[in-house]
Amino acid sequence: MPPARLTVGLKIGTVLLSVYAALALSSLSSVYDAGLTIEVGSRLLAPSAAHWFGTDALGRDVLALVAVGTRTSLGVALAAVAAGLLCGVPLGLLAAARGGLADDALARAGDLVFAFPSLLLAVLLAAAAGPGAMTAVIAIGVFNVPVFARLVRGNALSLMQRDFVMAARVAGRSTAAIAFDHLLPNVATLIVVQATIQLSLAIVAEAGLSYVGLGVQPPDPSWGRMLNEAQTLASSAPWLALFPGLALALAVLALNLVGSAMATHLDPRSRAGSP
Amino acid sequence: MSVGSRRGDRSAPALALVLWAALLFSPTASAATNMITLGLALEPPNLDPTATSAEATQDVVYGNVYEGLTRITEQGRVAAGLAQSWTVSDDGLRYRFNLRRGVHFHDGTPLTAADVRWSLDRARAAGSTNPLRELLAPLQAIHIVDELTVELELERPVADLLTYLGWGNLVILSPATATRAATAPVGTGPYRFVEWRKGDAVVLELNPDYWGTPARLQRVTFRIVPDASSALAALLAGDVDGYSNFPAPEGVAALEHDGRFTVSIGSTEGETLLAINNARPPFNDLRVRQALAYAVDRRAIIQGAMYGYGQPIGSHFPPHDPAYVDLTARYPFDPAAARALLREAGYPNGFALTLRLPPPYYARRSGEIIAAQLAAIGIRVRIENIEWAQWLEQVFKNRDFDLTIISHTEPMDYDIYARPGYYFGYSSPTYAARLAALSRTRDESSRLRLLSELQRQLADDCVNVFLFELPKLGVWRHDLHGLWREAPIQGIPLAAAYLDGPAGHAAAATITRSSGGVFTALALVIFTLAALALRRHVSARHLLGRSITLAVTLLGASLLIFLLVNVLPGDPAAYMMGLNASQSAVANLRAEYGLDVPAWQQYLQWLAALAHGDLGLSYTYRVPVADLVAQRLTVSLPLALYALCLSIALALPAALVAARRPGRALDSLLMGIAQVGLAVPNFWLGLLLILAFSVHLHWFTAGGFPGWQDGIGPALRALTLPAVSLALPQACILARVLRAELGLALAEDYVRTARAKGLSSWQALCRHALPNAMIPALTIIGLQFSFLLAGAIIIETVFALPGLGRLLFQATAQRDLIVVRGVVLLLVAAVVLVNFLVELLYAVVDPRLRDTGAR
Repeated sequence: MPPARLTVGLKIGTVLLSVYAALALSSLSSVYDAGLTIEVGSRLLAPSAAHWFGTDALGRDVLALVAVGTRTSLGVALAAVAAGLLCGVPLGLLAAARGGLADDALARAGDLVFAFPSLLLAVLLAAAAGPGAMTAVIAIGVFNVPVFARLVRGNALSLMQRDFVMAARVAGRSTAAIAFDHLLPNVATLIVVQATIQLSLAIVAEAGLSYVGLGVQPPDPSWGRMLNEAQTLASSAPWLALFPGLALALAVLALNLVGSAMATHLDPRSRAGSP
Repeated sequence: MSVGSRRGDRSAPALALVLWAALLFSPTASAATNMITLGLALEPPNLDPTATSAEATQDVVYGNVYEGLTRITEQGRVAAGLAQSWTVSDDGLRYRFNLRRGVHFHDGTPLTAADVRWSLDRARAAGSTNPLRELLAPLQAIHIVDELTVELELERPVADLLTYLGWGNLVILSPATATRAATAPVGTGPYRFVEWRKGDAVVLELNPDYWGTPARLQRVTFRIVPDASSALAALLAGDVDGYSNFPAPEGVAALEHDGRFTVSIGSTEGETLLAINNARPPFNDLRVRQALAYAVDRRAIIQGAMYGYGQPIGSHFPPHDPAYVDLTARYPFDPAAARALLREAGYPNGFALTLRLPPPYYARRSGEIIAAQLAAIGIRVRIENIEWAQWLEQVFKNRDFDLTIISHTEPMDYDIYARPGYYFGYSSPTYAARLAALSRTRDESSRLRLLSELQRQLADDCVNVFLFELPKLGVWRHDLHGLWREAPIQGIPLAAAYLDGPAGHAAAATITRSSGGVFTALALVIFTLAALALRRHVSARHLLGRSITLAVTLLGASLLIFLLVNVLPGDPAAYMMGLNASQSAVANLRAEYGLDVPAWQQYLQWLAALAHGDLGLSYTYRVPVADLVAQRLTVSLPLALYALCLSIALALPAALVAARRPGRALDSLLMGIAQVGLAVPNFWLGLLLILAFSVHLHWFTAGGFPGWQDGIGPALRALTLPAVSLALPQACILARVLRAELGLALAEDYVRTARAKGLSSWQALCRHALPNAMIPALTIIGLQFSFLLAGAIIIETVFALPGLGRLLFQATAQRDLIVVRGVVLLLVAAVVLVNFLVELLYAVVDPRLRDTGAR
């Protein structure tokens, strides 16, 4: 049953995502420059008509900071998922098309990465290579590689038995050609769904890393670091902790809603209306 | 089906029992009384106070390791020090000091008049780097009258000589050990030096042979916590017991309401300046300097950077001094006047400059605000954040800067404006003459007049922009006493400091017992128990296959960790010691940690040690990593289990209630809540919980962990909010999975049969659907353990819990790669092991999987 709830969810998710995209894009222009200027006279102001989200300890507009933070957070998350996708999908296709040793090696490597609790690899990288946006992208990206590789491999394997693939093999096409011309188009939708979910996980991971100081470094604003800076001021200026967190949670919610709506749509079992 | 699941239930408590046993095995913080750890924002460049003007050096050694002929009291008065008494000739040219009898240096040699002469001669010698060298210029000769009497002969009176002799720069050293004073100070003080772990801490211990009243603390550790934003967490987590000067003024208000801490706000001798390079154009133009002064809004800086702590100043003089003249109105905040002056000076469109900022928080924060204020008058400021050593080299020594921000914390330091070659680049014969006159003058009213003239001249010449007097924000645990409120001189004298009663505290506790074997034993016990429990259900071949996968994964993980930690940074020894380490020190460390052999050999050695449960020796704490981990596990493990229990306790009823009437309002509502809850990151939830339950309702403390020694109640209380933050998002995932699986199970024939037999919907749900839905739920619970561990490392930061996560982040910040390596491996091993156990449990729950090993 694709019940009304999910369709509503899809709508909410899409609207929210458009808002984020608008925020991220608008932060590229100069509309927030005034809000980002340090103005100690108007520090720690509660939300008002002039400052919808209030101001921070240096008198900067929290809405402007959240908007610019959107770009940072989404940027890192998108880059990480893209990296995972670009490495993971070919690996998964290769494993499915080749089988044998390549397949086994990939499976073991995946096990290895999954053995690291999600943020741990990032912490380790930051410890050895120093924190920063690049470290965050690599660390989160590495975690995404086996996710995509496994997804693609699993689905491509069942495709390998299908007639059109058999036909292509009989026709003598190369493994790479089969993988990209026949397997890839058939797993593309699944990849998009998974990427949506991974994106929401990546946003949380980036925020977590930035929160503990191992992600994006100052002066680039990021939601996670804003939350960290808000903590000591939480008693006097709770809005500092509220709005970046809300931005974070809503972004994750939007991606989850869109992701699960797409998954439901694609899943024949739930489409059929069971249970 | 249901039969199998009941057997599975039987081994689950066994597993929990084993995990709890780990708590009993691991050593708890020994009730180490009389040890404290104080936080320092800056690391001392060296430990010889007679050779450096760095405040951090004085903080560690002044009054603790070293003493002078006189000493300065908390009220700023001169009192007897190593000299019991003294006489001054009527013309003020001869000072005779009678030394105390029975004073010994820490190496056992007695203090004599010769040591005093040697120390003062060393300070005033031609090549001396002593910051007070110029002040000693009138000193003509030092006579040894007898073994314990020394006479100082001056060519002209020095009114403040007795004060100078009480300062940290003129302490008495022993000639025998002075050459090593920079790294291993030997003095006469109530504490003696134990060790200096570069980048981490300086440790002092009680001097049992002290000549005066012995100190009451057994051991004092000055821990370097460079990151101001982590200062509060360090305090709450008990990593440090206090700060003589807390580097995060925004947190002081909250600490004042926290009964666990004493907040004691005093003032320092620190005039905080926007220092100007007067010698460099365009700052050699008075109008440009005045423009800077008019453009800076002191009140805004004190509010923005210092949260209202600190008093504005208009010249280089502390407001609490009787001779202080309030000159803050000399250049009021007036951007229009500033722009006019710039135009007049020929910069109608402003200009660009560089503001070099040293690490202290007041400099970095004030710098951001000042940059914005100067931008308002058209001056484009480029901020350059530099390290302390760079600041000393580039700004202080080489005078290569435009503007900088720094607090001059030496008392009576208005003489620096007359020092030739001082980094301000200011020179004024009038000022020098006035200063010389002051030095000769002993009449109080004339002195006051001269002091006021000095202050006015500095303000008129606008040598620097005078910002505010640095406050002393003392914060320490409530049972620590005897620390100074005021800071009339540089230093943190701890001679009178003591702790109430027997105080066991995590920060002060040291663990001496090795517990490395515990982990190996623990792993073996779990493995054996699991094997025994499963013996009847799982074929040996299946078990063997799984074990091999387990071993291969662990080995691969260890290799990956090794490559990242030992190979990626190039030379780990150099990396750990930081930029300023000497070649030989790095070589020593390399040898000590076996890093001087080829990488593959290091790896094998590490593995061999691991097999014995030896995780290595922490670089910063100098204790076995296994001990550190064992101690931290007493927080992290209960937290993860608490959260897991909460998660299941919340998810199970929610899923059952929702599944009972599929598609109804309650189902939609619960699953809708779960969908939203899923999106809430746990660390944000933690922040919100703190806001609600600590800040507003005062039901829980905002963080910290009291330890288990006070009983289970307070400890569980401290873990409740963290556990809830961890559990809620996980419960949402679990509830959704369970609900979906229950839905599938309810559609199966056997449930329909059960219903047809007359079972109620609840009975059918609980007896028949639930056991089947538990199989996939088990996977999720297993996976959640991994998420809980990883999530816990962030949640521990939110709640300042001294668990594994904090250990990991601290080690990362301190570049203690040995600890990072050990903790990461342990966490990975835990995840792999739990997954292994979960897979074995499948076989128990679902007999179809026993022999095939599929899934």
